[in-house]
Amino acid sequence: MKFDDKVPIYYQIKNHLYHEMMTGQLAPGEKLPAVRQLAVDLTVNVNTVQRALGEMITEGIITSQRGKGNFVTTETPRITQLKEHLIMEQLERAYEQLHALNLSDEEIIASLKQYIAQRGQQDD
Amino acid sequence: MTNVLAINQVGYKHNFKTILHDVDLTLETGKIIGLLGENGAGKTTLMRLITGSAKGSGTIAVCGDTSTAHHKSHVSFTEQLRGFAASTRVDRVADFYRTVYPDFDGARFEEMVTFLQIDTSLKLAALSKGMKEKVIIALTLARQVNLYLLDEPFSGIDSMSRKRIISSILKWKPADATMVISDHYVSEIAPILDEVVIVKDQTVYAHKESDAIREEFGLSIEDYYESLYTETEGGADRD
Repeated sequence: MKFDDKVPIYYQIKNHLYHEMMTGQLAPGEKLPAVRQLAVDLTVNVNTVQRALGEMITEGIITSQRGKGNFVTTETPRITQLKEHLIMEQLERAYEQLHALNLSDEEIIASLKQYIAQRGQQDD
Repeated sequence: MTNVLAINQVGYKHNFKTILHDVDLTLETGKIIGLLGENGAGKTTLMRLITGSAKGSGTIAVCGDTSTAHHKSHVSFTEQLRGFAASTRVDRVADFYRTVYPDFDGARFEEMVTFLQIDTSLKLAALSKGMKEKVIIALTLARQVNLYLLDEPFSGIDSMSRKRIISSILKWKPADATMVISDHYVSEIAPILDEVVIVKDQTVYAHKESDAIREEFGLSIEDYYESLYTETEGGADRD
């Protein structure tokens, strides 16, 4: 995995795992790889993986079962909530940057619609 | 015991020239530490002082033991395979390690030899730079100790070898052992470092958690390291 070295690594590991959950590569109830295996796969420190998983356990996205390992939560509302949170985060960033260019809300909506329409044409 | 290393007011001079002075450094168990500094900053000297192969002023405790004669049993450091004739085969060097160090784990060594694709029948003189570093990593990590020191394992080697070496560190470093990796070019190993120690002006100039640098300053480890080096002498404090 490629990291942005300006952003805390534990944060990027969390985002990577969130992404795998959103896209279904990690399904609800699925067991996560062992901590050391994750560290080797992502080429990061074991302690950093531990920190990322610790925070995700606190958030309720992952459950830790003693002696068995870590599992993606089976509570789908929690995953839906996470997805909404991630969408909001992306929108917030884009909105703030467009707003900083002095675009009004109407102009932002219009630009976004235009962008999606153009993108659709390019894909064809 | 949570500290694997405690260095207190250590100094070292060579031919009346100060190499290191007033060095204080405490390292916890289970960490990977980047020891950063320019060439000639004193990184290798610091490693030699820790193993006891160089003697300076001040005290160095490894696992709470301040007797430097005992340090070699707690610390694994393979300094450039010095002391072996160029015609020595890699497997003969491993035999030597097996004999000298009771903590040398032959099975672990074989696993790493396979993973790093080392041909142990080669003579030291026949090893490429990258292959030599792989041999050093395998020998160093095959010992079961509390503290591992790697002196610039990535200098002048290709990126495939570098990736293999990094993977083997992540795979084989015991969870409760600490590893110090020195380098003068940090970006390639930054994601695996828990903390960085920066050697500058003949002393330990800074010691910080890697993710704290990213979080507090919004800087990459490399940018942070360079910012310390470009500060003017006695220059402005960074907040």
